[in-house]
Amino acid sequence: MNEIKKTYKNYVGGKYVRSESGKTFRIDLKNDFYEVPLTSRKDIRDAVVAAKKGYSNWQKLSPYNKTQVLYRLSEMLEGNFETYQQLLQDAGLTKAKASEDIHKAVDTIIWYAGMADKWEQMTGNLNPVAGDFFNISHQESLGVVFTLNSNNQSLNSLLLNMLPALTVGCAVISFNEENSVIALKLAEDINNSDLPGGALNIMSGKFELLIEDVSNHVEITAMAIYKEINNHDKKIIKENASKSLKRIFINPPTMGLEALFPFIETKTVWHPKGR
Amino acid sequence: MSSIKESKNILKWSDTVELVDNLRVDEVGLKERVASLASRSIKKDSKLQALNYIISMCDLTTLEGEDTEGKIGQMTAKAIRPDPSNDEVPSVAAVCVYPALVSKAKEMTRNSNVKVASVSSYFPSGQAPLESKILDTQFAIDQGADEIDIVINRKAFFEGDYRKMYDEIVALKEVCKSVHLKTILEVGELRTYENIKKASLISLAAGSDFIKTSTGKISNGSSREACYLMAKAVWDYKTVTGFKAGIKVAGGIRDSKDAIRYLVIVNEELGSEWLNPDYFRFGASSLVDDVLKQIKKLKTNAYQSSYYFPRG
Repeated sequence: MNEIKKTYKNYVGGKYVRSESGKTFRIDLKNDFYEVPLTSRKDIRDAVVAAKKGYSNWQKLSPYNKTQVLYRLSEMLEGNFETYQQLLQDAGLTKAKASEDIHKAVDTIIWYAGMADKWEQMTGNLNPVAGDFFNISHQESLGVVFTLNSNNQSLNSLLLNMLPALTVGCAVISFNEENSVIALKLAEDINNSDLPGGALNIMSGKFELLIEDVSNHVEITAMAIYKEINNHDKKIIKENASKSLKRIFINPPTMGLEALFPFIETKTVWHPKGR
Repeated sequence: MSSIKESKNILKWSDTVELVDNLRVDEVGLKERVASLASRSIKKDSKLQALNYIISMCDLTTLEGEDTEGKIGQMTAKAIRPDPSNDEVPSVAAVCVYPALVSKAKEMTRNSNVKVASVSSYFPSGQAPLESKILDTQFAIDQGADEIDIVINRKAFFEGDYRKMYDEIVALKEVCKSVHLKTILEVGELRTYENIKKASLISLAAGSDFIKTSTGKISNGSSREACYLMAKAVWDYKTVTGFKAGIKVAGGIRDSKDAIRYLVIVNEELGSEWLNPDYFRFGASSLVDDVLKQIKKLKTNAYQSSYYFPRG
């Protein structure tokens, strides 16, 4: 019997879509190869529209509910342990290394799931002021975030790139190059974890083709770059981003409370105390 | 009935009957034609021109129970200067409000070219006696409305009493006199293409200056097919009477791409002389935001967020 080879698609707005351009590119893993969508400029625009919608739906969930959704993602992922193991082995990891990576990935999700209803308490503050006021610093999520994920063939590092922004309530467009196969596989579990459509969008392609459009797009409020990029690209991104005051983070932390800091901003509220 | 004879765009009932008798629409042909027009590609300079046209043809609309004078004030400011950062963007054609808010809108637009349109005749259902509709319309005109959007009597239409529907429009036209009269067909409720064309022709024959697709109050508002048929009706009516009527599309047109497709239909079926606010309008609330975003995109090459454009 012939093996039926899987065609991976982008995951945008809760749906699996091909690139509207119809183009794909080839990813050669150590033991196998795949054709994955080559995201076009229009695909990115559509993804931003979907993420914008996803953002408001993800925001509607209570923090406690967000925790449950993320926890469910870890359950889904663990249920597909063997598929991921095979994919990681195809990419060149040993069986033991692959298995270790998946366990770590599950731990990562559970850590972030736990943070989803705690980060607000941990980052907010009641500030001391001279007067009859409460002065409250409250943290809010930024909005639509674009992440350029690392090229590591690792499920764990993929999750470490997408979860910080998602946990604080941002909608994420998670862009992948060399690790696209594993990312697009992960999209299937994301789809099964009750995450509102558009909150997390997974796309594959070549960032160099989209650098202008992404860094110029006003609706994208932040870009997190988790892979090495050259100085020329950094310059383009920073220049374009400055026009819309887009936040740019190059290799931000991926674990601990500080991993969340890039994706939140402080709103300070004064409220009369009364007597 | 002497005033009716003077009004040159009203057709006698007996002639109207002839016009709508045995009306047939080729559904397959219609859909194909509309689909092929939708595939036109409008880029760069032509797109910018189209986008500016769309803004200048918009009736910026709010028709909610929660409307307040404050909200009208905000919307009118946006109507006069849609994009404060770009003075090449024209004002919209009109603001469209309920009769009770006409005087506020009028006060706000007094130093501009923006007109004030008011819905009336018991919009959106039209389920009221003619006397009430006349009072409603007269009130809006007394408040200073430049244009009146009425709804056809769908009850009469579906009961087959076309004469009653015609007579009501004629009566309201008499109230309006020189005030611009737009007649809403509510195409989503008319169900068949024949009904759309029939209602269009009767409304035109009864003296409407414009025919309008929808109230925007039901889920299936405007469609390009309806716009096409209305364009055909306008053309037929012009052939018979020489009167050049306008079309207003409203209900569910939210993005620039869709709006441009409507412009293509009008341009192809009626000609470029219809491509101005005197003969073609968009009834819209969120469309303007998208068009402004697209205009800025063409200027800056960066996709925009509606966050940076005025509310209203």
